[in-house]
Amino acid sequence: MAQSDSDDGMDEFMDRFKSQRYKNAFTENDWEQEFNKIPMFMKTAPEEIDPQKYPELACLQSIIHDEDRPPEEQAKCLKDEGNAFFKEKNYEKAVVSYSAGLKKKCGDQELNTVLFTNRAAAHFYLGNMRSALNDAAAAKKIKPDHLKALIRGAQCCIELRNFPDALQWCDEALKAHPTDKKLLELRATADKHKRAAERDTRKAKVKEKKLHGQKEALLAAIKDRGVKLFQSVEPRQHSSDSEEEEEERSSAAIAQLSLDGLNSQEVTGAQVFLDNQGLLHWPVLFLYPEHQQSDFISAFCENNCFVDHLAIMFEELPPWDTDRKYLPQNLQLFFEDVEKEKLYQVDPEMSLLKALQHKSSGGL
Amino acid sequence: MLSDDEAAELLSFLTPTTRPDVKGRATEYILGLSGHRDGCRFLCSKPDVISALLVLTSDPSIAIVKDCFHVLINLSADETLHQVLVDKVKVLPVLLKNLVDPDYVFSDQICTILSNLSRHEKTCWTVFKVLQEQLGVAQLVEIFCTEGYNQRAKLHYLGPLLSNLTQLPEARNYLLDPDRCVVQRLLPFTQYQASVVRRGGVIGTLRNCCFDHRHHEWLLSDAVDILPFLLLPLAGPEELSDEENEGLPVDLQYLPEDKKREEDPDVRKMLLETLLLVKTSTLQSEHVLLLSSSLSVSSPADGHQSWPTDAEGQERLSHHEGVPPLGEGRPRRCELREAGPGSDRRRTGSRDGEPDGGGDT
Repeated sequence: MAQSDSDDGMDEFMDRFKSQRYKNAFTENDWEQEFNKIPMFMKTAPEEIDPQKYPELACLQSIIHDEDRPPEEQAKCLKDEGNAFFKEKNYEKAVVSYSAGLKKKCGDQELNTVLFTNRAAAHFYLGNMRSALNDAAAAKKIKPDHLKALIRGAQCCIELRNFPDALQWCDEALKAHPTDKKLLELRATADKHKRAAERDTRKAKVKEKKLHGQKEALLAAIKDRGVKLFQSVEPRQHSSDSEEEEEERSSAAIAQLSLDGLNSQEVTGAQVFLDNQGLLHWPVLFLYPEHQQSDFISAFCENNCFVDHLAIMFEELPPWDTDRKYLPQNLQLFFEDVEKEKLYQVDPEMSLLKALQHKSSGGL
Repeated sequence: MLSDDEAAELLSFLTPTTRPDVKGRATEYILGLSGHRDGCRFLCSKPDVISALLVLTSDPSIAIVKDCFHVLINLSADETLHQVLVDKVKVLPVLLKNLVDPDYVFSDQICTILSNLSRHEKTCWTVFKVLQEQLGVAQLVEIFCTEGYNQRAKLHYLGPLLSNLTQLPEARNYLLDPDRCVVQRLLPFTQYQASVVRRGGVIGTLRNCCFDHRHHEWLLSDAVDILPFLLLPLAGPEELSDEENEGLPVDLQYLPEDKKREEDPDVRKMLLETLLLVKTSTLQSEHVLLLSSSLSVSSPADGHQSWPTDAEGQERLSHHEGVPPLGEGRPRRCELREAGPGSDRRRTGSRDGEPDGGGDT
């Protein structure tokens, strides 16, 4: 203790540190967190900068975005900010920064082009193809030979599956940059897709035509046999496209033939069809009102007689036939004319075709 | 023919400042001269007259300009006069400069002259050189392929011009530059219905390009994909099953019922020649379906029933069609020649010009 007395009390001051902590000292537990709050040592920036918690950071921010600086500088800073976000794949924030930069409306057209192009890229990675395309177009407007914008525009068109436009972007771009490899590649891709899309259109047309032809043949076959079709009362809502009208009329006619209009329980979607030998097969519904039962035959050939089917259907008596009386030879067949609300007896020995051609049938 | 004095007097009428009616009479007279061979020869012995005419193509009077161009067209139809036109009178720079101008009214006439001048290799070289100096093959293709480049001229005769140029290997190299997109721009025009001149010119160009085997792989690759564009004009409206369709190149699938085959026999021949030049091993049996029917249309006398898939068969076919065997022969120049009105010139080419090109506007 002999050396302890010094003039300025420095030693005592220093001694105190051995026992006391200074105010706001970092503890061993929280020193990492504390460090992270200091702008210089931050590993990651916080999403939102709360001036209360991070006063220094808020200060720096306000310096960067100081309104007093010329717009070009501000815009450039915002561009850099956007680029930083972009690098981190934080595309939404990047868009915000770039948009802010563009809002400055600074006179530097080079900068504005880059802002638009970069924002286009951010939108592209976000999947906002339309926005990306608009931005690329805006960039192109300012600087028509800006390669990155041109490439981006073409890429957007391809994503939007607008291949003719993509091709146009490429060709325009190639005027200014005739040897750019990326452009050449994009053009080849766009062209290939365009031709594939054209093929798809052709294919669809051919298929449609075929289907139409089949429908027409079916209607003709039915008509030829003198079978009348029941006209449904409900009007059908169709677009007034004239090309489609004919198609829809035959579709409507065929739709009448499907069973789901008649019996809501049997919505099987079964339809009458014409087979390779030119025979019609009809879906037929057998109702057993006594027992509230039904049987459905999806494809009853017109040349088959009812007895043939009945023999199979009632080979073993159905479970609901408690009285055991539905033997094939005992069965009587009736055909209902819905319009006239009459029942007509049908001879089971008859073929379906003959039954359908019955004069008094007002329609199926 | 005129004496030297008379010729000098005629020349004096051909200045821009001469009275319009005198100018008009003079040019009319010269047009008449150019209608026959002797007149042409005479005119070429007086290159000053032709130079004067060249200057007068900028005259405000449309009628005079028209006449001047018709004279030039008639002169260019005679190979013996090419030297004079190109070397003495130096028509090329002026013509090319006006060609590039999208508002120039007489661009079609220019195209005709250029296609005439490029027929024979010697002058073709000169045309090519000047072309390269002034605008380049790539830009020529660009102009040709841009729909509506010039509202007043169709520019179809750039097709034969390109075809002629590609008799030169250097021109082919520019067209087939793998680092650029040049030949690809031409491909859709193999189907161009509105003009057989344009269509034939493009196909002739492609045919010449296919003479260089080194380029075949690139031409057949996705970067260019030339094969469907050669097959498509030969394909017909046959209905094929789904499997048959799926086996074809995309562009040939599900063709509509109104698909027409190429009707011009010369163009058809060029297509077949080009297909023979290209590695025929790429043609699969599905393509045979298409081609066999087109072959029977084009050469019933030869009795071809099907497209030969063996090398021997192809040899036979190539001899029949007059195609030099693979790897030999030179690219053929375009057979088109055009002469202006007021001419009874014999046409040595195998095809006459179309009503919409050359001659009258």
